[in-house]
Amino acid sequence: MSTKPTATSEAYVAVQQSPEFQSLRRKFRGFVFPATAFFLAWYFLYVLLSIFAPGFMNKHVAGNVSVGLIFGFLQFVTTFAITFMYARWANREFDPAAEALGDHLDGSAK
Amino acid sequence: MTQPLSLAAIVAVCVATLAIGSYGLRISRATSDFYVAGRQVTPWRNASAISGEYLSAASFLGVAGLVYSRGIDMLWFPIGYTMGYLVLLVLIAAPMRRSGAYTLADFAELRLESRRIRGLCSALVVGIGWFYLIPQLQGAGIALRQVTGWPTWVGGTVVSVVVALAVSAGGMRSITLVQAMQYWVKVTAISLPAFILLAVWRADPAAPSLDPATLWVSAGTGPGSGLYATYSTLLALCLGTMGLPHVLVRFYTNPDGRDARRTTVVVLGLLGMFYLFPPVYAALGRAYASRLPEGARTDGIVLLAPHLLLDGTSANLLSALLAGGAFAAFLSTASGLAMSVAGILDQDVARRLLPRFAGEDLPDRLGIRLATVVGLAVPLVVTWLLAPVGLASTVGLAFAVAASTFAPLLALGVWWPRLTTAGATAGLIVGSVTASLAAGATLLGFTSDDSWLALLLAQPAAWSAPLAFVVTIAVSLLTPGAIPPHTRATMARLHTPESLLT
Repeated sequence: MSTKPTATSEAYVAVQQSPEFQSLRRKFRGFVFPATAFFLAWYFLYVLLSIFAPGFMNKHVAGNVSVGLIFGFLQFVTTFAITFMYARWANREFDPAAEALGDHLDGSAK
Repeated sequence: MTQPLSLAAIVAVCVATLAIGSYGLRISRATSDFYVAGRQVTPWRNASAISGEYLSAASFLGVAGLVYSRGIDMLWFPIGYTMGYLVLLVLIAAPMRRSGAYTLADFAELRLESRRIRGLCSALVVGIGWFYLIPQLQGAGIALRQVTGWPTWVGGTVVSVVVALAVSAGGMRSITLVQAMQYWVKVTAISLPAFILLAVWRADPAAPSLDPATLWVSAGTGPGSGLYATYSTLLALCLGTMGLPHVLVRFYTNPDGRDARRTTVVVLGLLGMFYLFPPVYAALGRAYASRLPEGARTDGIVLLAPHLLLDGTSANLLSALLAGGAFAAFLSTASGLAMSVAGILDQDVARRLLPRFAGEDLPDRLGIRLATVVGLAVPLVVTWLLAPVGLASTVGLAFAVAASTFAPLLALGVWWPRLTTAGATAGLIVGSVTASLAAGATLLGFTSDDSWLALLLAQPAAWSAPLAFVVTIAVSLLTPGAIPPHTRATMARLHTPESLLT
């Protein structure tokens, strides 16, 4: 682990400056930033509801199940679903795109 | 009121931990084996280990205690624990992996090119580790007292000794094995009694109702709750997870990025499955005992629940299972923390000081063994001196310190090229001083009254984390000349997918 510039780190910068890399980077941010914003908002909504709308959260749906309980359960489900989607997206779309770019830059960057 | 079955279960978990730990002694040879298990852990085993480590005393006992005392809306607490993982995964994990740094301190040194900031980070890792170890040891004391009547210091001491032996014996590889085993012990221990108790409750015609409406106490009531406290804790959980030293290192024990992601998916599944059960105990506890028996703590509701519904041997069997599971929780989290703290003490302190006092010719791994002992002795002594404040809230303070220090460092370090060494240093100092002063005041019991000041000190994250971010950014903008010289190369490296350059 060294902090000195090396041939590799120059190669990193060279790759980074290519327009293909910039579009790859946009692809990554285009997925990750909105996803983060969404799950944080969804999560904070649950807390807001449980503080300001206890009546709504208490509403019975069936038997011993209330709206709040379903909401709470859904939170776990969505967290899992988002992680799953992210992993699938990264494996199917982002990594292949990154690899294609790697092949394309082969010789110039390596 | 000694319960021999529970005691036997606890002893069994401790012995199993030691046995697996000593097995690891034979298989771990290289240094990378010791710290990151040779980076060769399969996703399923690694995910079990991560979950095993993450589900601490706060999860096994504390969450049920919170839901029992404050209502089912406290579910956001475990949801926050899992959410922190997601934030870490999508924003930080991949760039950290690519940096090639083993620890938070390594990353800080690499990104900011300063030895001083490395020292600061090392001190923080040790501090946060100790904050997090304290409730594990306290929890062990509470659990052991509940099943044997022994004083609380015994439990913490037992956990410290077992962890010290397991860590110094085998390092990360054997700890990974131990923790993976402990996850499944914990899930079995919390789910099986839950199903049995629910069946007992259904079969009993005179059983009290489990109406969720009676559980839904508004978060606006009671001390320490309310909008401010809730959001503060949320922020601490979302941002703090990335700054917990024992969590981040886990992303290095996978062979590659693909496996790291797969691991996280499995982790969130495993954590979600576990968190279904603590609320069951809280609900049963509320239905059967609206008030706790004399001397019992809300954190003990999980261990108490079987005795509320059953008596005799069946109750003792179930609470033995739960006691064993709780000990697995203390042991696995404490091992991960002790591993991180000892690693830092060994790398940054022992290896520099030991040769000076004992000469160059030291026995293999003397440093890490000494570091493990010191790393565990300090929090243990603290638990002897202080009365426990509440497991989930003490763990919350560790998250708050992490959120006010490593979160700005990591988030800005990974995503903001204009971060300067001066800015990062200022942010770390402001964040650590404010958050740890507040946490210290809470631990010492200065925040028991209902004033605003007490609330701000008990829940520091909502102001200390943004403050640390603002200071880091402001000082960075004021010192544009102090941008580390290789920032561009480092940033390029952090954000270039591995497949491009390998």
